[in-house]
Parts: sequence; C-alpha cells; structure tokens
Amino acid sequence: MSSDVRFTDFKSDKQPTWCPGCGDFGTMNGMMKALANTGNDPDNTFVVAGIGCSGKIGTYMHSYALHGVHGRALPVGTGVKMARPDIEVMVAGGDGDGYSIGAGHFVHAVRRNVDMTYVVMDNRIYGLTKGQASPTSRSDFETSTTPEGPQQPPVNPLALALASGATFIAQSFSSDALRHAEIIEKAIEHDGFGFVNVFSPCVTFNDVDTYDYFRDTLVDLKEDEDHDPTNYEDAKEVITDGEKEYQGVMYQNENALPYHEQHGVTEDMSEIPDGAPEDAMDLVREFY
Amino acid sequence: MGTVELSEGFSFGGGKVRHNMAADLNWAIGGEAGDGIDSTGKIFAQALSRAGRHVFTSKDFASRIRGGYTAYKIRTSVDQVQSVVDRLDILVALTQRTIDENLDELHDGSAVIYDGERSWEAEIPDEITAVDVPLKSLAEDAGGAIMRNIVALGAACEITNFDVEYLDESLEKRFGGKGSKIVENNKEAARLGQEYVRENYDFEELGYDLETTDNDYVLLNGNEAIGMGAIAAGCRFYAGYPITPATSIMEYLTGRIEDYGGHVVQAEDELSAINMALGGARAGARAMTATSGAGIDLMTETFGLVATSETPLVICDVQRSGPSTGMPTKQEQGDLNMALYAGHGEVPRFVVTPTTITECFWKTVEAFNLAEKYQTPVFLVSDLAMSVTEQTFPPEAFDMDAVEIDRGKLVEQDEVDEWLDDEGRFRAHAVTDDGVSPRAKPGTIDGAHMSTGLEHDELGRRTEEEDERVQQVDKRNRKVETAKEREEWDYREFGDADSENLIISWGSNEGALVEALEYLEDDGISVRVISVPYIFPRPDLTEEIEAAEEAIVVECNATGQFADLLEHDALTRLKRINKYTGVRFKADELATEITDKLAEEVPAQ
Repeated sequence: MSSDVRFTDFKSDKQPTWCPGCGDFGTMNGMMKALANTGNDPDNTFVVAGIGCSGKIGTYMHSYALHGVHGRALPVGTGVKMARPDIEVMVAGGDGDGYSIGAGHFVHAVRRNVDMTYVVMDNRIYGLTKGQASPTSRSDFETSTTPEGPQQPPVNPLALALASGATFIAQSFSSDALRHAEIIEKAIEHDGFGFVNVFSPCVTFNDVDTYDYFRDTLVDLKEDEDHDPTNYEDAKEVITDGEKEYQGVMYQNENALPYHEQHGVTEDMSEIPDGAPEDAMDLVREFY
Repeated sequence: MGTVELSEGFSFGGGKVRHNMAADLNWAIGGEAGDGIDSTGKIFAQALSRAGRHVFTSKDFASRIRGGYTAYKIRTSVDQVQSVVDRLDILVALTQRTIDENLDELHDGSAVIYDGERSWEAEIPDEITAVDVPLKSLAEDAGGAIMRNIVALGAACEITNFDVEYLDESLEKRFGGKGSKIVENNKEAARLGQEYVRENYDFEELGYDLETTDNDYVLLNGNEAIGMGAIAAGCRFYAGYPITPATSIMEYLTGRIEDYGGHVVQAEDELSAINMALGGARAGARAMTATSGAGIDLMTETFGLVATSETPLVICDVQRSGPSTGMPTKQEQGDLNMALYAGHGEVPRFVVTPTTITECFWKTVEAFNLAEKYQTPVFLVSDLAMSVTEQTFPPEAFDMDAVEIDRGKLVEQDEVDEWLDDEGRFRAHAVTDDGVSPRAKPGTIDGAHMSTGLEHDELGRRTEEEDERVQQVDKRNRKVETAKEREEWDYREFGDADSENLIISWGSNEGALVEALEYLEDDGISVRVISVPYIFPRPDLTEEIEAAEEAIVVECNATGQFADLLEHDALTRLKRINKYTGVRFKADELATEITDKLAEEVPAQ
C-alpha cells in the first residue's frame, strides 16, 4: 500500500445520481478523505453499503465493496472484518437502513465492538422512495404516509448506541467538511466500533432538517472545553439533551477490547491449504 | 468429483447385511426429558462401538428442556446397521409412559429394566421379562442417586452378556473432566447394577450374547460430519443462530475451528447470520451458515444477493417438520421446494442432499468446492433424522488425505492484470464462455471492485441496459450449465440393477431402504434402489424410470415434492410413499409399504 494515496483514489468514475445539493456528497467526500488520511488504500478497504440513497455510495467510491440487502450492511461488514482483520472496513447506510429495518443489527453490532466504522447518513426522511417518514423524523413531520406526522418520538441513535454499550459515539454534519472528515478519521482510528451519525440533509423531501437548520443550531463539542468524551456521564448529558444537537465525539471508551482481540480472531481466513489441514485425522479420532 | 468416487468406496449400504433376532440387538432408554436419557444412551453407544460393534442410534424427544417423554434407541450388530426397526429387545424404562410408548415394539423375548422402588407401579405385559432393579438405591450406594441410569447400563450389560468394562472408557470420556472420583463412582454404579442382576435373575433363556470384535469404529452423527467436513474443506468462518436441529453444527465448530485459525459467531438472528457469512465469503474466506425451519425462511431474503453478487456460500438446511414452528424435534423432508425455488426472481443455485452420515462429510466438502468453482450459493440440505443419529464407521470413511480443495477462479496477484479493462478496472463479473468470472479477494492490488444485488455490468456497477442485463443473467445461468457438464451428478444405487421394481429416494431414507431390501428379498421381491444426493442439478432418471415396470418415490413429506420433480423430468406418473408423522422410515415398515405399493394397480393421485 503506497503512502501517497490521495482521497480521489477512493472515488470511482461513476457520476453520483444524488440530487444536486444532497448532503451525501459531503458525507462521502469526508469518508474518502478520512480513509486516505488514515493511510488506507482502495485495495485494502472494504465498503459495505445499505439500501436507499445512501446505499449508492459503494458505486461512487472506489474500493472493494458490497451493496447488499436493506438493513443488513452491518452483518456483512462484521463478516468481512472477522474473516480479514487486515482489511479496513467501513459500513455506510441511511437512517432507515440503520435505525428501522436494521435496528436489531445496529444494537448487536455496537455491543460486539467489531473494529470497523459505521457512518449513518441521517437525513430524517426516506428519500429514494420519495419522502416518507424515517425513524429519525420529527414527530410532527408531515409526509405522504404520515399526513399528521409520525406522532411518535424519533429514535435517538446516539442514546441507543450508548445504551447498547458503544465504545465510540460521534455526530457530524456533512457540509462542515473539515470537521466531518476529522470526526470520521477519529472513528476509523478508534480501536473498536466507530459510530458516526452524520446529518446529511435531503434537499428534496425534508424542508425542516435543512442545511440552515443544522448550521444555525448545531453545537460543536470541540468548543466545549468541559466535555470529556471518556466520561460516560458527560456523554449521557449531551446525547440525551432534548434541547440542543451536537457535533463531535460524544463518547469514547479506549479501554474496551475490540472483538478480534477479545476473541483471538487475528488470522487471514482466506488463506487455506490445498487439502484438509495436516492434523485433520485428529478430528476423526475424537469420535473413537 | 474426486470426493464422490472416494465416498462411493465406502458405500456401506452396498454390502449385504443379514440380520435376525440374534445378530442385531435393539436397546433403548426412555424417561422424562431432563433425565439424562441422551447422555446415558450415548455412553452405551460408545461402549458398544469400543467393543467393535456397529451402532445406529435414534431419538424420540420433545423440544422441552424438561418434561415429556424422550428416548434414546440403539440398534447394534457386528455388521453395519443403518436403520431403525420396529423391534425393541432391551428397554430401560424410567417412566410408565416409556413402556406404553414402546409396547408395539416389545416382544416375548424383550426385557424391561425398571426401578420397582420408585413410586410408579410398572405395568408390564406378562410375556415380557420384567427386570426390577433398585436403580436409585444402588446409585446412592455408589455415591449418588444421579447415577441411576448408569446402574441401569450395568444391568443391561449383564442381561446381554456384555462386558461391563467396555463402559469404563466411555464413562471416562463422559466424566473425565469432572475428576477421577466421579468416574470411579460411575464405574462402581455400573458394577452394582450388573451384580444385582447377576445375583437375582437368570437370563440364559433370553439368549442375548453380544459378540465383540477387534474393529475400531468412530461414532458420530450427521451434524458432526457436516461440521468436520467444513473444517476439512477449509471453512474458516461460520455465522449462525441457534435453532433445532441445526445448532449442533455450530456447537461442533465452536472450540474446534479456532484451532485452524477460524471463528464461529453467534448472530442476533438468521438475517444477520447469512449476511455475516456472506461478508466472510466476500472477504475471501470459505464461509458457511446452517439453520432449519423458520431460519431458512429468514435467510431467503439474502439468497438472491448471494447469487447476483456471485458469492461462494454454503447454506445448510437441516430440515425439520414444518410449516411454521411445526414439530421442531421431528423428522421431515419438506424443504425441497424451498431449497430449489426460494427467493424472488430467478436465483441460480446448487442443491446437494447427502444421503448418509459419511456423505454428510463428503457432500459438505463438495459443496464448498462447488460454491467457489461456480461462485454460487450451494444449499446443503440434510434432515433431522441424520442430524441426531449416531452411527459407527471405520475411521477411513473420513479419509482426510482424500479431501481435495478447488478454489476456482480466485485470482492470484500476478493474474489480476488479465482481468482489468482498458481503464485498469477489475472485471469481477466478466462475461466469460463458461459463465465463471474471476474473483479477487480484498487486499489484492488493483482488484478493488463493487458487487451488488442490483443488476450490474461487468464491473459490478448498477445498470438497467437491456444488453447488459441479458448478458449477466445468461452468464449466471451459464455457470449452472457449465457445472452440469463438468461435474458428475451421479446417483447411488443398491439392490438388483435389473429389477423391474424401481424405488427412488433422496436424503436420509437411504439406510432404511437398503435394509428394507433384505426383508423384501426374504419375501421374494427384488427391487432396484436409486438414492439421489443431488436435487439441482440432478441426474436425469428418465431412462431408469422408463425401464422399470413399477416406480415408487419414497420421501418424508406429505405432498411428494421430489416425486413431482421426477414426474416433470420423466413425463410419467410415479407411485409415492410419503411419511409425515414426524418419525423417519424404518426398514421393516418400509418393506411392507413397498410390497403394498407394488401391488397397487393405479398410480397414486
């Protein structure tokens, strides 16, 4: 792997079909920059993408990639990383993929603490199916399937992660390019499951969670000198703050062992002998 | 395929097995679930195996952890045994229900061992020898009431004139981890049972005398054979979710696959399990998942992705009785259509169906080779009967030196250039003559590529261009055609090849059919048995069916899914024998069914 990898090396020659102005452009650029900045290379990187607008990312990036079944991106990433601890794994999907159809997997991927990065492009709307409520939509957000709003509180993915035993929880905003890339970079460098919820506005179907809204309201934890991300109580405070929304690293537990260290999964499983393992008859003799 | 030929070399069903009352012994222990029935039965089965006797076990059990009738049955002979029969010679009954459940199988030469000191009054028909042994009291004398089943084993040894010392080794195997004291107590318990019977009864006239041989056998079940086959075949990543009766594959691999650099992960559900396995396979590992019942329904979601992303993956379905939750601990071969057709759209696949426990091993090896050679999902379809049956084999039946691994078009670093397009992009779904594309695993320089469940071009990128769509569909289907030509999809054959009576079966019915041949022969009926281990692609049986006067398809389901397929292939009506009680076919029962069915004038509707 060469050391002079540039972020554009992670870009494919396929032109994105996202709507002009879609937050996903910025989210993807930040991911590519962060991968390059952390010394990765398209040939040692595996990107798993979910279904939805966000799921197209595997096509627009250049790396080993799989665009799979709706909601199951995290299990695929888990399998890749367990079989190949030497490969950098990044899973990307949307709020529907991660917090609705894939919510069960999210909880378990978090607690498993597999060493990979999970980027959720959260636009609080179903864009690809043209504007229905998502699990993070506001309770009064009117859509074609929820004319009076979902009338349910939105999922708080950061709190869900914290409650599930996350070791790295962060949030970023796709148009704050430098900061976003920096946060993704921290997630990649985290030795365990690096979770980043990215506000990635949908300019076509969401007229409340807009660029202006996030620009005007988002509080950067970088400017809060009192916030200690290694402190669970500090993390809980910002994550469950019903008034303000934050960007930055909310929580990081650097002491938790990632899955592969906990379970001794260190080998490249793709390398196998031409026949049965040398001592395989021992397996048979066990049945005497 | 090399493995087929080898495994054919060990086609135990081919040999003539004569059995009569003296040659094979049918033994069982039954009681409440939670009474240690299973482990007691296994200890006796192992002891018989150590004594150079063949063993074939079966289980009657309920899915509850405790409560409900359960039994472990052993058929043993110095010859190979591969079926259960409707006859019970020695029964250890811990409950009256155990006796009641087995009344039909008991005969006037049977002996029932029970504990007369227990609260229940044993009702045992007069013609059956009742052997009252104070199991609990003697166990307490040996060190604890918990060993009462071992006392019963000692009693059984005495009745069958089987040296109690053979139990010692299996007791060591079973209890060695708990310390020598426990082992010694158990040995003592067995001897107290033996001595009690010797002092109080005389069973000369029952005439049981278990012969021993110097042969060394291994004793294992179908799921263990699948697990062992997976490790032998280079499977290093297994993801699964516990479900009866597939779980024991996962349990086998756990603690063993790690020795070979592999790992087992228990997923949060089957949706996750198959996707984790898919991830492992995309990463270049030989990967597998196994499930049953509702688990295969959930996994269906991902079948199409495995096929269109051209990922080599082995998906094992250990069939159980359905639909829905059905009878989770009961036998059925009801998932054949599922394995063939599950998934929306048209999903190219292979369906391999081992017919014996040794074949569970060899077909698993073959499944991994097929998966990688053709980059296709391979369904390895077993069933509950095979998964819980423990059977003896000479260790050479699992000759590891004969295991061959073919990774297909997995490209080495120096081969990557051949598969790059003009712009240096890896053509992971290149349209080739045989339909098989190159496969680059992550880390291969310049091999980076996309794969997706969307229709895609050669580079794996989404397309809805008509030409590209047709090319990709054709190439995926062409892999199946290539495999049809390159691989052998043979059936296994038994009985009289020239007989006008043809019996066709798939999966675990083979053993009972092979033994049924003996009963039929005694009645002067000759039959040709064809046992099919490949459902798709499958051997064309048209000629064989046309050559026969009578053709009957035997399977454990209600609707005759395999018979439907064969009728479609051969364009003729076939007779059917279907069993869907939840219990596997027994040899003698099958012989009767076949005799009756042959006499039927009109093919079944």
